[in-house]
Amino acid sequence: MYFTDTKICIDGDNGLGKDAVIVAADLVKTYKTKKRKGLFRGEKKLVEALKGISFKVYRGEIVGLLGPNGAGKTTTIKILATLLLPDSGDAWVNGYHVVKQPFGVRKSIGIMLTVERGFYGKLTGRENLEYFGALYGLDRRYMEERIDYLMKLLELDKLGAVDRMFEEYSLGMKARLGLARALLKDPPVLLLDEPTLGLDPSSSRMIRELVRKLAHREGKTILYTTHNMFEAEIVCDRILLINKGRIVAEGSPEQLKSLIPKLRIINMVIRGGKGVEEIVSSMGFEKYEAKYEDTIVNLKISVEKPEDVLGELIRRIVNAGHEIISLKVEEPTLEDVFLYYASKT
Amino acid sequence: MASLFLLAVWAEMKMVYAELIRRKYMLLMLAAYPYILMIFILLIGMSIGNRQIFIQRIGVSPEIFFLVSGFLIMSILGTSDDLLWRPIYDEWIGTLPYVIASHIPRLYHYLAIPIPRLLIAFFTGLTSVLPLMVYYYGLHGFIEGLAVILLGLFSSIIFIPFIMVVMGFIYGFGNVNWRVINVIRPILLVLLGAYYPRYLMPLAGYIVSSLVPSSHVVEAIQRLLIGSLNGLYAFILLGVATALFIVYSPIGVYSIGLWEKRKISEGVKTE
Repeated sequence: MYFTDTKICIDGDNGLGKDAVIVAADLVKTYKTKKRKGLFRGEKKLVEALKGISFKVYRGEIVGLLGPNGAGKTTTIKILATLLLPDSGDAWVNGYHVVKQPFGVRKSIGIMLTVERGFYGKLTGRENLEYFGALYGLDRRYMEERIDYLMKLLELDKLGAVDRMFEEYSLGMKARLGLARALLKDPPVLLLDEPTLGLDPSSSRMIRELVRKLAHREGKTILYTTHNMFEAEIVCDRILLINKGRIVAEGSPEQLKSLIPKLRIINMVIRGGKGVEEIVSSMGFEKYEAKYEDTIVNLKISVEKPEDVLGELIRRIVNAGHEIISLKVEEPTLEDVFLYYASKT
Repeated sequence: MASLFLLAVWAEMKMVYAELIRRKYMLLMLAAYPYILMIFILLIGMSIGNRQIFIQRIGVSPEIFFLVSGFLIMSILGTSDDLLWRPIYDEWIGTLPYVIASHIPRLYHYLAIPIPRLLIAFFTGLTSVLPLMVYYYGLHGFIEGLAVILLGLFSSIIFIPFIMVVMGFIYGFGNVNWRVINVIRPILLVLLGAYYPRYLMPLAGYIVSSLVPSSHVVEAIQRLLIGSLNGLYAFILLGVATALFIVYSPIGVYSIGLWEKRKISEGVKTE
């Protein structure tokens, strides 16, 4: 447990530094579901969504919660957004305890939970933002200025979306409007739950770039969930790999890659393929894969130090009369890291 | 704090009017509703009863009685519909998490929700109650009609905390479901006494009905129509209604809190 008292966190005098803006300490959540057995009978079932996760996010940092569907990402975001009570554990956002001081948390956060839904269909983008601005208690004049600014920032004005009804929006426009709502009260903390899910490349890129800008230029603290490895790698400063309700690894994308056994992949495309597998096995490689297409072989070999074996491998293949069409040595991707940890839990 | 309430009213007005103006058939329906209801009930009444006997028993012509009843039902039950539907609608379109995560005081928000529709009800009163009253009673009918409309709006406003209590407890202990509204609506319809005057109800019915703040105002309106409302009795009825409004307000806020707590403990749906 990081903290036992709300005040300790507000003071920042907790040995963890004042800049920990989001703190989760041993969060546990179990959902009760019912498995139906016929019309009248049902069996209660407990689903452990979070099994005691702890983490911190510092000011101006983008931390990615990366994991497959059902890993516990949305549950974590919901608890931090005061939309779900944890069974046990504590969490603080901007110094406020999520259970004891929910109004303080709500004033500090901007949330984006789904891309497709969450607005009134018959209202225009501007009217929707005005509606939520009023619920956030924003001053009228400030709200108007802020909406104009956000419409420009998210290029909704260029897309002609400002005065168009939400029900006529494309998915990309909906996502941009969702982010505009999250930024409406200019909160210090953003909780973004898969903000680019299902978006076209240009909208995704725009949102990713904006998220980085918000954190690194404006100092916003951002918790960003995704199951897109590529996105996590390019957006997040730090990644928390979450699987089955537990954080299984934590670090920057580079740190995470360095944590797994240092296997690299030699990827070769060879012409005149028969006999290639014999060469590979004669050299003692254990992890390799060969795919044949007529006379072309796609060969993938996993090795720890490719520089030690590559020369000899090329020499043997060429001496056997084969032609190497292409050759590359691949670094492990975040996906490899994720699969490695997923297989361990 | 007052500015927060005004902001909430302004936001709700924009939302409701944008929806209504962009669905013109709804505006038309709202204007026609009291007339449609009156014609429907009169047709049934005429097929099974007699107009003269109705006037003898109730003390007012059935056209006026049922048109006013239709107007009252539209304004008062419109309030309950607005409040009871809102969480269901918000959950359905995915706005509920953002509403719950907002920091506006809940009493302000729930008081603000029905106000736009009440203003529409005011204009509906001008297009339904007023012309008929003027037709029957001339200038006196104009003044009486205006009083009926204003009292109708007052009865709708004082209905809000009562509905918050009902909503919070039903949704808090039960489930947020549109079927619940279908059960509550007819009960409220009877308890309000708009179609069956409260003073004609058996004692038990009268007592239960008295717990609903708006039923006192409805009785005042009905007595005004039949000409049996004196100043003291009107003061008592409106005084009791206002007292109930004051009593129900904190309980309403508490019960809404109860519902939100339940919602948060099981998790607000986000997908």
